[in-house]
Amino acid sequence: MRSHKAIAMMVAPLLGILSLAACTGSGTPEDAEAVSIDQDWSKAEPLTIDVFDGPANYQGIQGGWFAKVVKDKFNMELNILAPAVAGGGDTLYNTRVAGGELGDLVIVGKGKQADELVEGGLLLDASPYYESMKNVSAYDTAVQYLNEGKDGVYTFPTVVSSLKPTEPSEGVDPTFGPYLRWDYYAEAGYPEIGTLEDLLPVLKEMQDAHPKADNGKPTYAMSLFKDWDGNVMTMAGQPPALYGYEHVAFAEAKADGSDYHGVLDPESQYVRALKFYYEANQMGLVDPESTTQNYDTMFAKYQAGQVLLSWWPWLGQSAYNTEQNMAKGKGFQIAPMQDQTVLSRGADVYGGGLIFGIGSKAEDPARIAAFIDWLYSPEGVESNSSDNAGAGPKGLTWEDGPDGPELTDFGRKAILEGGDEEVPAEWGGGAYRDGGSALNVSGVLQNDEDPRTGYPYNYKFWPSYQETAANPLTEDWSEHMGGATTTMEYLQSNDQLLVAPGASFTTPTDSSEIETMRNQVKATIVEHSWKMAFAKDEAEFEALLAEMQETANGLGYEKVLEVDLANAKAQNEAREAVANEFG
Amino acid sequence: MFLVVLPFLVLVFVFSYLPLLGWVTALYDYKPALGLGGSEFVGLQWFEILVSSETQLQQIGQVLANTLAMSFLGIATSLLPVFFAMLLNEVRSTWFRNTVQTLTTLPNFISWVLVYMIAFSLFSTSGLVNTTLHDWGLITVPMKFLDTDQHVWLTMLAWSLWKGLGWGAIMYLAAIAGIDQSLYESARIDGANRFQLMRYITFPQLMPTYVVLLILSIASILNNGMEQYFVFQNAFNREHIQVLDLYVYNIGMTGNSLSMATALSMLKSLISLALLIAANAIAKRARGTSII
Amino acid sequence: MTTMDTGPHWRHARGDIPFAIINYAGFLLFALVCGYPFYYLIINSVSANDISALGDVRLLPVGLHLSNYEQILGLPGLTSSLLVSIARTVIGTGATVLASAFLGFMFTQERLQNRSLWYRLVIFTMYFNAGLIPVYVTIHTLGLTNNFWVYILPAIVQPFNIILVKTYVESLPQSLQEAAELDGAGIVTIFFRIMLPNMTPILATVAIFSAVAQWNSFQDTLLYVTDQRLYPLQYTLYTYLNQANSLAQAAQNAQGNLGAIVSAATTQTPTSIRMTVAVIVVLPIIFVYPLFQRYFVKGIMLGAVKG
Repeated sequence: MRSHKAIAMMVAPLLGILSLAACTGSGTPEDAEAVSIDQDWSKAEPLTIDVFDGPANYQGIQGGWFAKVVKDKFNMELNILAPAVAGGGDTLYNTRVAGGELGDLVIVGKGKQADELVEGGLLLDASPYYESMKNVSAYDTAVQYLNEGKDGVYTFPTVVSSLKPTEPSEGVDPTFGPYLRWDYYAEAGYPEIGTLEDLLPVLKEMQDAHPKADNGKPTYAMSLFKDWDGNVMTMAGQPPALYGYEHVAFAEAKADGSDYHGVLDPESQYVRALKFYYEANQMGLVDPESTTQNYDTMFAKYQAGQVLLSWWPWLGQSAYNTEQNMAKGKGFQIAPMQDQTVLSRGADVYGGGLIFGIGSKAEDPARIAAFIDWLYSPEGVESNSSDNAGAGPKGLTWEDGPDGPELTDFGRKAILEGGDEEVPAEWGGGAYRDGGSALNVSGVLQNDEDPRTGYPYNYKFWPSYQETAANPLTEDWSEHMGGATTTMEYLQSNDQLLVAPGASFTTPTDSSEIETMRNQVKATIVEHSWKMAFAKDEAEFEALLAEMQETANGLGYEKVLEVDLANAKAQNEAREAVANEFG
Repeated sequence: MFLVVLPFLVLVFVFSYLPLLGWVTALYDYKPALGLGGSEFVGLQWFEILVSSETQLQQIGQVLANTLAMSFLGIATSLLPVFFAMLLNEVRSTWFRNTVQTLTTLPNFISWVLVYMIAFSLFSTSGLVNTTLHDWGLITVPMKFLDTDQHVWLTMLAWSLWKGLGWGAIMYLAAIAGIDQSLYESARIDGANRFQLMRYITFPQLMPTYVVLLILSIASILNNGMEQYFVFQNAFNREHIQVLDLYVYNIGMTGNSLSMATALSMLKSLISLALLIAANAIAKRARGTSII
Repeated sequence: MTTMDTGPHWRHARGDIPFAIINYAGFLLFALVCGYPFYYLIINSVSANDISALGDVRLLPVGLHLSNYEQILGLPGLTSSLLVSIARTVIGTGATVLASAFLGFMFTQERLQNRSLWYRLVIFTMYFNAGLIPVYVTIHTLGLTNNFWVYILPAIVQPFNIILVKTYVESLPQSLQEAAELDGAGIVTIFFRIMLPNMTPILATVAIFSAVAQWNSFQDTLLYVTDQRLYPLQYTLYTYLNQANSLAQAAQNAQGNLGAIVSAATTQTPTSIRMTVAVIVVLPIIFVYPLFQRYFVKGIMLGAVKG
């Protein structure tokens, strides 16, 4: 112990801040008196803050109408630093942290990142301001839960909700589901689909009836891609979700806590999905370019109508369900697969996976605290969430109507037609889409009730919107789905939705040994999975499965799985606890 | 004398040598937020973890085989830019030569991601090559060019030659321009023809540059980069396409553990230096003068 | 005189004509193979984006439109980042060329004590990789973050370029320098008056390498610069591309507005942006390149010695 401390001490001066960060961090918490954030910030000195924003998709100074709203209220500009846009993975985070200064406002993952930032002294204790942060105090349970074991208030929750944790957090569509080209399915006479494998003959019939798309290219029932492969082959990770299973790394767990096993278990839903692809490929249903194309190419195939099945609404529907196609009754809709219990994530009473924090070197922490607090106010939530089904600022995109809130003419054009609509000058000008908040994370869940209107923030729940959203496609679908108006409604009323209570569980950090093994195992699983899906025959499929299990075991799969199973169970316990407390 | 180069040596020291102190993080489980003092000291753990199981050793063996194979193929073809420059120099039409030179350097500026897109457009199952062959009745089943385990090393070599040949020839074109013209004149007086001039004057005059570059490339045998292999890899060719840099990336050593990444790059740096010194010693013995 | 410029004289030998034909034909073919991909990028960047994403545009543009270029050239801050790019390319290249020429020359001078030691210390850095964090900390400590000079200072000493120059200088006739020394010229005079003019071909090479590297570089911005006014063109374009990419990925977490698809043909995809960006970035290189090319054909001037 002594010797390595000595090494650290020796090189410390040369390495400068490399070692310094920790020292500044362990300073004693100041028992400063409460500082009120309650003042008119619009008269304060102009200020530009660096926002280190993990989820952001935009890098640079926030512009447009959201910038105007923030400027008017806080006389503040936001300089967004977006690691996802900057590129290089965690590089930006690691280097800035090593330099001792991450940003004035920090949005990072809770758990590992937030904890080390607090420990290293990169986040500020906001206790002095917390008392006067009226809006966020409404979620005090979540704030306290988040800062448990820390000697202050360092982090604030995101997407926090007052809904029950057993209510779905998604909007009107779940994240997963067997979405088919409904028009071809209708042509085939709405055949019954008992279980996953029953999709194959149905898809075969649909593909045979329409061997070519409008652009003259062949159609395939399914088309896959590899860009997002991680612990497992992403595309084979989706069918399990139709049965309420989720993957906690290599553990496959049913979200109601009734079943746990490894993904490589011969009986796992994951292997079943691989077999499903294998059989589909034998039947000629799989696009042979699946192995080599990227997401863009695959997306373009969906756009051109060359693919008939999508596991996600946000793939098939967002590519193909254009106004034009839907008016002709064409588009993707969820299929009535009889035994499905689609996985859904419940509303998080303790907040989602990200946190807001104030950088320890922030120039004007009180103002940033005030800004954070504003993000939980009705006005803040409405304005800050324009890109995720949020309605935008009141008065611009929506107004109070006779039956609750309704989109204005400008709002309909701006939100529903691509966002190129020019914003009036008094709101800051520019295209509506470009002026949306670049923070890309909301303080409060969009499904929560807006106290100003009595309806959810998400405009898709508004009666005024739903009335106008119907078209030949959804009408036909609704007719054959027992009159359901939305996918969520159908799944809920048929008891085909399995909501995993929102417990805000974060998996603990792996030890370095486990992490290294995990990284090697996942590479081998992904590689073998693809080969299995495209195996020549049954014998090869089985041989590859055996080889995958053997190689994975050789690389330490079982040890890693043990950790993952424990994590999956811990997650379930947390869910049960939260469901008992708030359910 | 020394004083005039000192400012430059200071730059080298500050930007290249001083940061090497960071290598000490290879002995820690380094977390930037906590600093070195707050990170756990783990000794040689990161070096041991690399070789901790038999399956792992097998994988690393295959990875090293790929790495060396591709590096040696690269070295074996390293004379091509020399010939390219010599032959281009024989082209008498200036505009033709300049046009060729410009066009052949273009691939160097196109990122591998885009190269793969073009490759996909041409060689995928519904790509240009397969459709053409099919239309001509030469094949009935599309050929798998991109997702096959056949000839991966050679295919990769072809792509990197295509991309780098014209660019790599620039240095030799400059070297040719620098050849003392009186050498040619006296050779011509002795009655040498075009091919003899190329063989006995141009080629030997390019050798010093070539040998230096050869030694440099021997030292970087382990560094093939990963971009090219990353964009072309898929489950079906991974066994033979995975070079060291890509392997390190694929198993996420670079992303998740800073100390692991440091340990690896430290190891690679030391091996490269050893190779450099060895190659230089061999060259010295063979040619009488030290290159580096 | 023209033949003097374009290559060595030769006596006609048998096989000259067939050789020339094969040589021309070979280069023509290879040039086409090399030029096609860039042509491919151009026609795809002006074709309908949904069709080009399928990889179906190969010979002629389909569904011609210029909205990709309009979008990208309309990006805010593009002009300022172009200026930054030009500044760093010009200043950086100038500094690197001078430094490489000087060091490459100095490392051949026996009068420099321990020259092979210094030379080796410089070369070794090619194989070192200290890792991003220590380098970042060093640069941060020097106050170079959010500073234009972070683009220039670390790039001044380029071992590879120094090697090229040194090897070149060694191939020059000794008599060049000796004659000047007899005249009593000092080392600086020799460098500027005698050596520099005779190094032009290799310095042109170094200039090309360095200019292209400066023009294409964005990694340093990513690490060391958060001030938008210092973004070079490449970084602005690169972040724009990444935005498109991460928006596509973000669809996984947030369901986009389903009504928000107006026309697939002109909706930008990461692919279309990537290709357009590549064309925008490479075109200037193609236009500037010929300025350097003429230095490759001039034979070495030995007037002083030959006389």
